[in-house]
Amino acid sequence: MSAEQRTPVSFSVAKADDPHMQPKARNPKRTEALLALVMLLGIASLIGFIVAYFMNAESWIMGAFMGAGALLLGFGITAWGKYLMPQGPFVEERHRMSGTPDQRARFKAAVVQRGGGILGRRKVLAGLAAAGMGIFGLLALVPVIRSFGPLPENTLGVTQWKRGTKLVDSTGRGIHVNDVAVGGVVTVFPEGMVNTDNGQAVDQTILIRLTTQDFTTRPGRESWGPAGYVAYSKLCTHLGCPVGLYEQQLQLLVCPCHQSMFNVANGAEPTFGPAPRPLPQLALYVDDEGYLRAQAPYDQPVGPGYWTRS
Amino acid sequence: MATTSLSRRLLLPVLILVVTVLSAVVVFGEGSKSSTSSSPVLIASTVNSANAQTILSNAIPPAAYQTGRANSGAANSSLKVFSNGKLVAYGNKNITYVAPPSSLNTIGEALYMQNCASCHGNNADGVPANGTPGAYPNLRGLGPATIDFWIETGRMPAADPTSVQAPSRIARLNSNQAVAIAAWINSLAPATPYIPIVHNVSGADHAAGFDLFALNCAACHTITGGGDMLAKGTYAPTLRNVAPTQIVEAIRTGPGNMPRFTGNLTDAQVRDIVAYVSNNIEHPANPGGIGLGGLGPVGEGFVALAVGMGVLLLIAFWIGDRA
Repeated sequence: MSAEQRTPVSFSVAKADDPHMQPKARNPKRTEALLALVMLLGIASLIGFIVAYFMNAESWIMGAFMGAGALLLGFGITAWGKYLMPQGPFVEERHRMSGTPDQRARFKAAVVQRGGGILGRRKVLAGLAAAGMGIFGLLALVPVIRSFGPLPENTLGVTQWKRGTKLVDSTGRGIHVNDVAVGGVVTVFPEGMVNTDNGQAVDQTILIRLTTQDFTTRPGRESWGPAGYVAYSKLCTHLGCPVGLYEQQLQLLVCPCHQSMFNVANGAEPTFGPAPRPLPQLALYVDDEGYLRAQAPYDQPVGPGYWTRS
Repeated sequence: MATTSLSRRLLLPVLILVVTVLSAVVVFGEGSKSSTSSSPVLIASTVNSANAQTILSNAIPPAAYQTGRANSGAANSSLKVFSNGKLVAYGNKNITYVAPPSSLNTIGEALYMQNCASCHGNNADGVPANGTPGAYPNLRGLGPATIDFWIETGRMPAADPTSVQAPSRIARLNSNQAVAIAAWINSLAPATPYIPIVHNVSGADHAAGFDLFALNCAACHTITGGGDMLAKGTYAPTLRNVAPTQIVEAIRTGPGNMPRFTGNLTDAQVRDIVAYVSNNIEHPANPGGIGLGGLGPVGEGFVALAVGMGVLLLIAFWIGDRA
């Protein structure tokens, strides 16, 4: 008869020769020796971890020792319980949980009669405690009154790009009009802002050379793309990821986060994906020394929408 | 009796585990690079220009093939070598760009006619499809580095000229044949960049190479260099198993949809990138033991969830099974 089909007995009354008290293992001595070996190996692994730690071994070696030790010991303990302990099943009667009627009557008397008297003796403290609890409830109003901070004003709508700001790469080097070949791309920042605390994340702009001729991306932007250079904000208008994946034959900028695609030849109009607006374009000009500069700040906020801009 | 019921109950989870492990091996297993290595050299002769027209009428819009640019890479460098008034080499101690020798022009022309002309035309100026010029690109004025890159990475001659993007394969033409074809096309319309030779890669700055890689390359090729998909069926290929010369050629010429990096990356910086790619990208340290192809958190999470949870499930079955 297998253990599952037996009637459960109480552990406290089971005799030593009861079938419930027998282990599952057919040869308990051999199983015990085997499990002892397993646990010894586990202990050896843990000692191996200590040794490896002091020898500055690689982390995967230490991890292997630690993992093997935990696994072998865990296996040994579980197998001990499964195969060498009495297999039962056993039941244990639950003892009585409620008190006697007499105990319950005395407790009730203590709470109702003496408790009220004890509280009534300290009227001032009781009143103060009640007032304190009431004021505690008012704390919920404090952030509404004080802690929401100043309004962001238009800080979300502006960047460090000003009229005449020079375009520089991540090392601070200016971009000469002859530097970038057709089909080339550089991530540029406003000069003087690289490696400072001033919003580089919102300033990052992707500069692409589409051709050698002046390039107009859409009506009204005739002067924005001198010598085929066009510059767009690198922040996706969806959630602000850096739109850095430029495909020169497809003329697409791809956002790595949600696969929005922007047509760079057409004012970065989104052609696919969740982006709601074109990337803002930065108007450029070539200065007397041949370096690229911004004609004006961005004509609209960069990056994703916010509560006053959807 | 108890043992049979145990094994019967374990059958399903074991099956699930085996299937997940096998699928993980299939999905993430390395060495699954396509290698069709039949009929070298003569492959393009099976596609004559007549059936190329038929193929093209079913192809995707020709805009995807057009490069719309000529590589006019400026040869501004400290070293310049002229022969008979022609620039034959330029560069510096980091990278030297060498023109393919004009003595190879004749054999290069023969190889071109055999392998390339059916699509790119007998004059290497591209084949118009249905009256639309540039369906197969004009090869003139692209510079020898461009020609060398496409042939030596096995992308050309293309196995499927109508595909969106020619995959890297085992090269059909050897290095000398690639240089010969580049020599003949360069003789038609001389242009730079020439074929680069990278010097002393071991002396380059790996850390600077990583910074430049993260800034310029990782957006598309991913930070592990495993490559990733892009728009409209195009993809950034993996950077493992790319020779230093081809890395420089790709950076300097911008093959396919890849942007071109010229004046804003110096030869010293390009050499740093080459050092980083050919050492750290091709031989990643993988401190966790298995790189799983460097495909990122989705693939790693899949393995952790399927294999890790599968094993935990089996252990839970064993512990919970009544003895």
